[in-house]
Amino acid sequence: MRTGIKMGLLLMAAVLALLLGVGIGSVYVPPGDIFSIMAGHIFGSPLPEHIPASYSVMVLDMRLPRVLLAFLTGAALAVCGGVMQSLLQNPLASPFGLGVSSGAGLGAAVVIVLGPVLAGVGTFLLPAVSLAFALGTVFLVLLLSAKLDKGMSNVTVILVGMVISLFCNAVMTLLATGSPVHAQRIQLWQLGSFSMREWGAVWALLPVTVLTGLYFLRYARELDVMTFGEEQALTMGVDLRKVRGRLMAAVAVLVGTAVSFVGIIGFVDLIVPHIVRRLFGAAHRRVIPASALFGGAFLVLCDLAARTLTPPHEIPIGSITAFIGAPFFLYLFFAGRRNG
Amino acid sequence: MNKKMMLTVEHLSCGYGKTTVIHDLSFQVEAGGRLCVLGPNGCGKTTLLRALAGVLSWQGKVEADGLALCGLSPKLRAKKVALMSQFSQTAFAYTVYEAVMLGRYAHQTGSLFSAETAADRRAVEEALRRTGMWDLRKQPVTMLSGGQLQRVFLSRTFAQEPQIILLDEPANHLDLCCQAELLESLRDWTANRERCVVGVFHDISLALAFADTALLLEEGRALFHGPVKSLDLKLFDRLYGMDVRRYMKRIHGRWE
Repeated sequence: MRTGIKMGLLLMAAVLALLLGVGIGSVYVPPGDIFSIMAGHIFGSPLPEHIPASYSVMVLDMRLPRVLLAFLTGAALAVCGGVMQSLLQNPLASPFGLGVSSGAGLGAAVVIVLGPVLAGVGTFLLPAVSLAFALGTVFLVLLLSAKLDKGMSNVTVILVGMVISLFCNAVMTLLATGSPVHAQRIQLWQLGSFSMREWGAVWALLPVTVLTGLYFLRYARELDVMTFGEEQALTMGVDLRKVRGRLMAAVAVLVGTAVSFVGIIGFVDLIVPHIVRRLFGAAHRRVIPASALFGGAFLVLCDLAARTLTPPHEIPIGSITAFIGAPFFLYLFFAGRRNG
Repeated sequence: MNKKMMLTVEHLSCGYGKTTVIHDLSFQVEAGGRLCVLGPNGCGKTTLLRALAGVLSWQGKVEADGLALCGLSPKLRAKKVALMSQFSQTAFAYTVYEAVMLGRYAHQTGSLFSAETAADRRAVEEALRRTGMWDLRKQPVTMLSGGQLQRVFLSRTFAQEPQIILLDEPANHLDLCCQAELLESLRDWTANRERCVVGVFHDISLALAFADTALLLEEGRALFHGPVKSLDLKLFDRLYGMDVRRYMKRIHGRWE
């Protein structure tokens, strides 16, 4: 039952992070007012007199979608990080190792460079193309790994993923160099941003995150078994090739979708599962939901820092997560080494 | 009285890619039997084990308790055959109990939160008590010593409730008393039951003390298959290309 209490506390912390994220900004909106505004929007109840109508617009159309997008992205990245680490039996693995991010980045760069040509196709062109590139890259990585190594061992997948990622990055750099006008936008995209603030992005990411998360939960026991190694998993009864292929595809879809909206945000996928395992143990039936809550809350707070620390300029979110994540990761790694 | 055959291997060939490592190998292990597979490095011991475990594909016929293993689903196969390898460690901090419960995977059919049945819990407790790890069940596996960890994996193998346990040099990295304990609990597990153990060993003395039948492999072919009692020790001279008996006597002489 202690797990239940811890999970409850984590849920409360996540709600608190969301309230802080929505409340803090150029003007402060207290939690009570946030609830009134949301109730007013959902149930049509009249706003209390002390809340200006402009607050309502700001909360509903600017802050809320941004904060929810950050939360969903954090949840998606953290959960996928945990799943990849178990699939590859490597606590340092990350979904980006499969080529998801570099593929998405290449797709985004292509759209940015060809932007003027493709003008008027809508806001969703960039995410759509970059998702297609992300999935294509992962497919290519898995296909090449299978060609090289029939058993598709983890080392092969990691190496092929690395090579393909570097190749995509090279093409992206080439594109950026070839059209200096767009170089800055490509570079900014690579550090991630939630400034898109579109409800459309939230509605697109929400079902993908929830469904993929449930799909991972369904395979929680297989993931547990797989952390003990490929040979062990096979002889313990896991249909390894099938399960691993499905889970990697699911990771590609979820991370690809998130990255295609907000750009590349590192370290969340790497550190959140580690912290969560410390708090809740290694079993995936707890790690998956806890990573979602923790990752979501963490990224909401990082985004809060990104937009409030240096007004009126925004710090790219990717540099905030790296700034907090890199030293923290080192600490985790060394602390773990000493105990073990 | 003729004993029932637990494992029947006929004309087994397997290898990696185009290289064949095991050539047309046939042998049986009877109920309650303990077979040791011996031979120099590269003779195909581990390859044979990996084929029997279903990690490698093979040609020929392999039957466990009369059931052909070819084409069996991983779950069904896991209920028949379990593999215990010379495991080093794991990076993730499962508790001892959780790690052993994972051995029940092949038996579990329910959804995620109702998967563990009373039978699962009973099997896990029995396995942990058998190896003397019950008191440490709440410890994370990352904090255990090598010997304790090996006992966790043995418990997990028991909890899987297979009929055949394959051992890949299980005594490696274990000190003498852990080795003795491990082999003793495996002997207990097989005795007088419809179960058997097939073990690959480097240590010839240990293997011959543990097993009742032996299979000597020379370049992927059987040099000897039969009871340990009728094994001509001179065969080892040929197998290892040295005077094994003189060597053993010399290094064990101190204990006389």
